[in-house]
Amino acid sequence: MELMLVLLSLLGVIAYVALNYATKEPSHPQKDKLLAIYGLILIIMLIVSLFIQWPIEFSWQGAKEFYAIYGFAACIFLIYVAKVLRIVLPRDEDYYEKKEEGLND
Amino acid sequence: MIEWLHPAFVLIIGALFVPLFKGKWKQAYLIIPPVAALIIVVLMYTGMFGDIPFSAWRIPFLRYELVFGRVDKLSLLFGLIFSLATVPLIIYSLHVKSNSEHMSQLVYAGCALGVVFAGDLISLYFFWEIMSIASMIVIWNGATDKAHSAGMRYVLWHVAGGVTLLAGIIIYISATGSITFNGIEWSSSSATLGALLIFLGFILNAGVPPLHAWIPDSYPEATVTGSVFLSIFTTKSAVYVLARGFSGFGPLIWLGAIMTIYPIFYAVLENDLRKVLSYSLINQVGFMLCGIGIGTPLAINGAVSHAFAHIIYKGLLFMSIGSVLHKTGTAKATDLGGLYKTMPLTTVFCLIGAASISAFPMFSGFVTKSMVIQASAVGGLALVYILLQLASAGVFHHAGIKVPFFAFFGHDSGLRAKDPQFNMILGMGIMASLCIFIGLYPYPLYQILPYPVVFDPFTAPHVVEVLQLLLFASFAFFLLMTSGLYPPEQRKINLDLDWPVRIIAIWLKRFVKGPLMNFAAWLDSIAKKIASDFSAFGEEKEERVYIGVSVMLALLFLALYLIVEILYNWIFS
Repeated sequence: MELMLVLLSLLGVIAYVALNYATKEPSHPQKDKLLAIYGLILIIMLIVSLFIQWPIEFSWQGAKEFYAIYGFAACIFLIYVAKVLRIVLPRDEDYYEKKEEGLND
Repeated sequence: MIEWLHPAFVLIIGALFVPLFKGKWKQAYLIIPPVAALIIVVLMYTGMFGDIPFSAWRIPFLRYELVFGRVDKLSLLFGLIFSLATVPLIIYSLHVKSNSEHMSQLVYAGCALGVVFAGDLISLYFFWEIMSIASMIVIWNGATDKAHSAGMRYVLWHVAGGVTLLAGIIIYISATGSITFNGIEWSSSSATLGALLIFLGFILNAGVPPLHAWIPDSYPEATVTGSVFLSIFTTKSAVYVLARGFSGFGPLIWLGAIMTIYPIFYAVLENDLRKVLSYSLINQVGFMLCGIGIGTPLAINGAVSHAFAHIIYKGLLFMSIGSVLHKTGTAKATDLGGLYKTMPLTTVFCLIGAASISAFPMFSGFVTKSMVIQASAVGGLALVYILLQLASAGVFHHAGIKVPFFAFFGHDSGLRAKDPQFNMILGMGIMASLCIFIGLYPYPLYQILPYPVVFDPFTAPHVVEVLQLLLFASFAFFLLMTSGLYPPEQRKINLDLDWPVRIIAIWLKRFVKGPLMNFAAWLDSIAKKIASDFSAFGEEKEERVYIGVSVMLALLFLALYLIVEILYNWIFS
């Protein structure tokens, strides 16, 4: 059991590193292979969770792939909110300095 | 049993002798105070100074007794991590020539230890304030105009916080009659205001929104090594005092939960990677405050152990991005990318830090953060649980993927910087090994936590839960990145909640420099006119006239005084 968990964790780390190398530009020569490894590990994670006895503190944890869906949705949500905020928040890098320079005018 | 020596004073007094050494000798000397402080802390664990808990360095002050050394499991844990982290930090900064930088950093670290071991509110305040000043000097060592004004804003925030804290302490002491610093009492109505002000002072240092803007404003302006120091002591000493004084204080749950979410948006948008790390620092402290607010043994264990792990991986992340800045001269995502080939070691260290902060299984964040999240689940706080999990996915996205991605992978920037020199590599290596050690074998850490640990992070549901959450968050990043929907890096800053304050300050400055100065000049000219009309000593050589008049007036008053004095003695003797 412990060995399985260590193996899973290692797979997670491999997926993480593979993703970093695969998405860099110019493309990694092994890009397709890296992406295949990454995709495969994602699928393994989905399958593994079918065999797990989830503790149910909250009702939604009963859904088998809850965390996969939630992680995916959370990331999309956060990035889209950030995209909306980008309409309002950004200013030039010397925004405050310019405001101060207005002093001597 | 031998006499206890305060580790804070080892660092503070050690700092004073730094200018006496030069070159290699200075480098050798710099290691001594942090190592000595660490040895003292380790000896405390072995019971060399007495059984824990004990208190030492009790010094009478007015009608109170100050306790500089209150040693129990909680203070010792923070003492251990502060002194443990200072060693690799000093090694990382050995190449720095500036004495002022080394001295301010050592004093800063020393004061943080002082805060941790302070057993009463007065000595706590004493170290708290010197810590603000020392950290301001750490920022000023950035030696740019930006660093100078950021340091100024930093200290204004902290002076405001310090005055609030002082007012709170005075009210609290006069209401309760005791200066001991333990759980802050809300019971009596006269102490409530004091407790509230103390709380405000504490959460300002913890960086709770909307009082957080000084962190991303000033930390990225410090030097490469300065920002690593800054990332560790101020906020985590605030976590310590909150854990000590406000454990189980309900509002902290929600402040902490908001604190984990709010900075994520900024971290996604920011271009300066040290700013991204500053925002993710706020997010991580949010997890700790949330745990302190929940206040159950599991939650407190989670909060303080997370602070322990956080200091190591956040230091490591600031070190690795600092190395990039040191070698390339920039930490901006727009200018970086593709460095993994020429900076392989730094890349690996950064990835280890990133995996730790994201709480990947087998890395340090995994064995600590999950206690806080578990505590929220056990406590039935569904919304908090959901928010913390959302934040966990967010951390992985901005600190776990964005930081290493834009620095070391991403678009090739054409930069071909090499790994930094040996001392920086060694510093990062120590931090990285600690991250992995805690992640693989957390039991020594679990043993020194304030409460007995009945929590096993390595269960199948927990490992799979975290892996699913993280990997599918990364999948979302991948999809958005490859489809071009991901917001591209921009050379911009983003307005934060300090915007109104800064704009008002700029208006105020304008008012002072404009109308107020004109008014003063007008008053001046009138005074001059009146004076010259009075003096009738002639219009030529104005200055000489004034000097003459003032000397004469001074002599006149002296003579008058002498006459009065003589008369007085003559009459009444």
